[in-house]
Order: sequence, then C-alpha cells, then structure tokens
Amino acid sequence: MILEIKDLKKKFGKFHALNGLDIMIPEGSLYGFVGPNGAGKTTAIKIMTGLLFADSGQVLINGTDVSDGLNILKQEIGYVPDFFGVYDNLKVNEYMEFFASCYGINGLKARSRYMTLLEQVGLEDKSDFYVDSLSRGMKQRLCLARALIHDPHLLVLDEPASGLDPRTRFEFKEILKELREQGKTIFISSHVLSELSELCTDIGIIDQGKMVLSGSMEEILRRVNATNPLVISILGSKEKALTILKSQPCVQTIAVKEGDIRVNFIGDQQDEAILLQQLIDAEVMVHGFSREQGSLESLFMQITDPDKEKAVLVHENESGL
Amino acid sequence: MKTNPVYKRETMVSARSFRLALILVIFNSILALVILLNMYSVVERVKLTAEIQYSSFTTLYVFVAVVEFVMLMFIMPALTAGSISGERERQTLDILLTTTMKPSEIIWGKLLSSFSTMFLMVVSSFPLLAVSFVYGGVMIHDVLLLLLCYLTVALLCGSMGICFSSLFKRSTVATVVSYGVLVFIAAGTYAVNIFMLSMARMNMDSSYASSINGVTDQANSGPCLYLLLLNPVATFYVMINKQAGVNPVISSLNNWFGPHPDNFIMDNWVLLSILIQLILAAIFILIAIKGVSQSKRRRIRKK
Repeated sequence: MILEIKDLKKKFGKFHALNGLDIMIPEGSLYGFVGPNGAGKTTAIKIMTGLLFADSGQVLINGTDVSDGLNILKQEIGYVPDFFGVYDNLKVNEYMEFFASCYGINGLKARSRYMTLLEQVGLEDKSDFYVDSLSRGMKQRLCLARALIHDPHLLVLDEPASGLDPRTRFEFKEILKELREQGKTIFISSHVLSELSELCTDIGIIDQGKMVLSGSMEEILRRVNATNPLVISILGSKEKALTILKSQPCVQTIAVKEGDIRVNFIGDQQDEAILLQQLIDAEVMVHGFSREQGSLESLFMQITDPDKEKAVLVHENESGL
Repeated sequence: MKTNPVYKRETMVSARSFRLALILVIFNSILALVILLNMYSVVERVKLTAEIQYSSFTTLYVFVAVVEFVMLMFIMPALTAGSISGERERQTLDILLTTTMKPSEIIWGKLLSSFSTMFLMVVSSFPLLAVSFVYGGVMIHDVLLLLLCYLTVALLCGSMGICFSSLFKRSTVATVVSYGVLVFIAAGTYAVNIFMLSMARMNMDSSYASSINGVTDQANSGPCLYLLLLNPVATFYVMINKQAGVNPVISSLNNWFGPHPDNFIMDNWVLLSILIQLILAAIFILIAIKGVSQSKRRRIRKK
C-alpha cells in the first residue's frame, strides 16, 4: 500500500467531517474517491496532502507515519486541486521553474524535468506563453505537470475534470492512463462517475465521513451485478419459460418487461447455468441470458441514499408475478 | 547561494510590471523638482542679499528624509498586507504549502521582495539626497543612521502587514487592520502621552504649588513616555532633529511631553527604540509564520 489512512477523525466545531475514515491505496492503482457533497472528501484530501491535521487517526505513506514529519508526505505526493492556482505575469516555463525550486530542484535539472513534463501534457509549444493566457484545459494540464515536477509516487487530484469540455476531459483521461502506465499511483476525487468507472482500478465511496464501500472496481461491479436481476430474452411464447422459472427455488420475483423476462435470482453462476440448461432442454428459444449490468451510478445511489433504493425494490416487487 | 523561490518570483514579476518603473519616475521627479526649486530660491536669495543660507540645504536634507520616511511607513503595509491573503485569494497558498517550502521561507520571501521594492525607491532617491552633501553639514554616520531608521520602519510596517495578511483571509481586511494598528502605534502612543501630560498639569493646577509661577512647566507624562519607544515616528523625529542641528531642547521629546529626567533610555533613545521596534517586527513575523503554518492545529495523535 502506498498510502494508508486509519480511523481518521476531524471535527469542525460540532460537525464531524471525518468519522473514522479508512482508506487503503494500492501501489500503481488509479483510485477513485467518490461521495456526495459534504461527505468529507475535501477534508480527507487536505489531510492526505498535509494541509490540515486530523484530530485523531493515522496517515501512513509507504508504511511511514507522516506525523513524524510532513516532508516525507510532501515528497511523495503531488497535489492537483480543483482550482488552477496560477500567477499573473508569469510564463509557463517560469511557473514550472518556480515550483521546481520550491522542491529544491534548480538549474538544468529543473529545466530538463519541466520540459519533459510539458511535452507529456502537450504544452511544450506553450512554454513562452503567459500562464493567464492559457485556456482552462491547458491550465489544468499545466497544473498536472506542476504536481509532477518533483516526481512524486502518488498523485492526488481533486475534481480535476470539473468545468472541462468533453474533448479536454478525454485528453486529460488519456494523460492519467499514461501516467499510471509509468508507475504512478493516482488518487482521483470526482463526481463524474461514468468516467471513473472506465478509468479506475479501485474505488472508495465515502458518506458522512466514513468509507462505506471500497475495493477493486472489478470486484465491486461483480458484487453489484450479482444482486441485479437476470434478463432472459425469449423468441416466441414465454409460457413454458415462466412455468420453469416459477418452479425454481432460486427465483424470487419474475417480471415481464418490454418482451424480456426479468428475474430476481439469488443463485450463483452454477445455478444460472442449470437454469439456462433447463430452459434449452424444454425447447425454449432463448436468445439472451445475462445479469443486468450494474453501474457505478446505481451503486452510488444505492449506498448514499438507501431509502431511494428501497423504494425501487418495492416497486419491482409489486410488479412481480 | 540558494535564492528564496518566492523572493525570486516576486521580484521578477514586480520588475516586469510597468507600474514599478512609473512609480520610480514619478517619485523621483517630484523630489527632484522640489530640490531644484529650493536650490533656485537659495541662489536667487544670494543675488539679492549677497548672503548664502547654508541652513537651507540642511532643510532640504530633512525634507527629503521626511518624505522618504512617510513613504516607507505608509507604503510598506500596503505592499505586504496583500501578500499572503492575495495567495489565498488566488488559491495558490495551498499549492505552495504542499511543496517542501517551509512557511517561514514563504514569509521571508514575501517580506524581502516588498523590502527590495521599497529600497529600490529609497536608494534611487539618494543622488537627490546627496545634493545637500555638496554644502556639508550632513556626515556619513548621519546617513547611515538614517538608513538604519528606514530599515527599521520598513521592517516594522512590512512585518505588521504580512502578519495581518496571514491572519485574515481578505486582503482588504488585512490592509485596514494593518493601517489601524500602525495609526494606533504612531498616534495612539502620542495621544496617551498628551493625555497623561494634561492630567499631570491638571493635578498641579489644583495643588498649592500651582501658585508658584511656572510650576506647571515641570509637569510631564511620566513613564508613559517610554511607550514612544514603540513609535517609529518619535524615533525619526528625535534622530532628524539631532542631525539637523536644531536646539537639543526643542528637538527632544521633553518639548512635547514635559521634562523627563536624564537616564540611560533618554540618552540612547534612537538606538534603543530601533532595537525595540526590531523586536516588535520579529514578533509580527513569528505570528505570520504561525498563521501560515498548520502548527496551530492539533497534530495527528499517535495511537
């Protein structure tokens, strides 16, 4: 684990921003950090980056407790906030040189480092431009290059895609993928869940200052899919199929929707295979048999608003046969 | 030697701006105009009276010194009061604090860059100040003491501005509070002494001793006079009066607040007040560093 956060607590007055938060970021992962507004994402990020101290808990970077000294943390982490933070009257190369010198990198070493980074983010031809003359997307890329100037192992991005157009978002996503391939660990907080599900290898969902779900994206989506209904598409009469389904102990509810049969099925993959075999043996013309694909959005809604999800389940049950 | 990155960036940006060059030109033009007019009037007087008034050149020195002092005192807080809060408003402070730079380095970089800008103005006016040296009367140690006084007032006012800049989120609030405190130090200590002096005079008036003529002249503001050690205006006033060779009685603070007994403090007023003001500046700088760093927040408790 490159970064571990254990039982982190932070109070602002009477408000508990973090209430025993645990995060484990595996090395080389692209970790998505999701949560509703006010869940404690920014507080957690500020503590991770050393901008805020927690009331209690531990932050370990490569197994070393950062309370021993923030310098370890600062050397290992590159931070990209949700705002650009640029200076007027400063050119792109001067901006990069300034931040390089903030990390003690000077002279030729700094120049070769920032030129490589500017090339990586596609700003090599803008090095003589004033920072405030760059477009929003360019500023965001510059900010990313700035965060990488000291070659950190972990990159922390807070809502990096907010306010960017689709094309710039796509380009930004490609840069992140490239960085991950180079061995960087990326921690990204975002509200654009569809993008995160495409991009991230791991995910953590925070609500009311606590981690409510975390793990690898694959595993989480598999878990979501396992609770989703089976969608069976049949050509011709459905009577025979419905009779077989009703006799199955794993079937909880059956609903016919838009020509498909949706079945709440509690069995595992083997039970699914047996059911499919039975349908085929009974000469039912099955041309589709799969679990409904779960999305990060539906999972997020389910976790962060349980009442809403219950209402959906009740509705489905009521429509069942 | 490693240059402070904040200092390097700030000076580069300020040197690049047209504003600094414009301020230098306007400031020195006004000073030059006043000095040339003064010299012209002296020369014209010589033509009329056949008598050269050398004291006019000393007045010229005092005039330039006063203008520069006032400028330092009132421009330094404006330059520094927006330095940290400006970083906050631009949302660059968080980024700076995630680098390996220490808060003290950020504060020093900011303070030194304002200092450099200010001293560029002071030094650029030195050739004008040197006009008075042509006729003598001002010694090199006088100029060095004047420079020390400038350094002190610049450091005090600058550190005050940067202190409030780190404590308040908005530059406007930081600027208003900085000027408020500066006025309190400059005018407040004076007002306290005036008040104490008038109280002392009232007490003497009501006593039997008041029947003796001139006894109220013996009233003074008491130990409150030493509050003026914090006041850079008082320091400058005492110093410049001595340098200008004005009657020591008039030049001393006794003229303002009644006669005080001679002691070590009174004898070494300028140097002691400079020392005290430097200590005050150091306190402001420490508060500023504390304000920027997170050390005021509780650290993570180890389990």
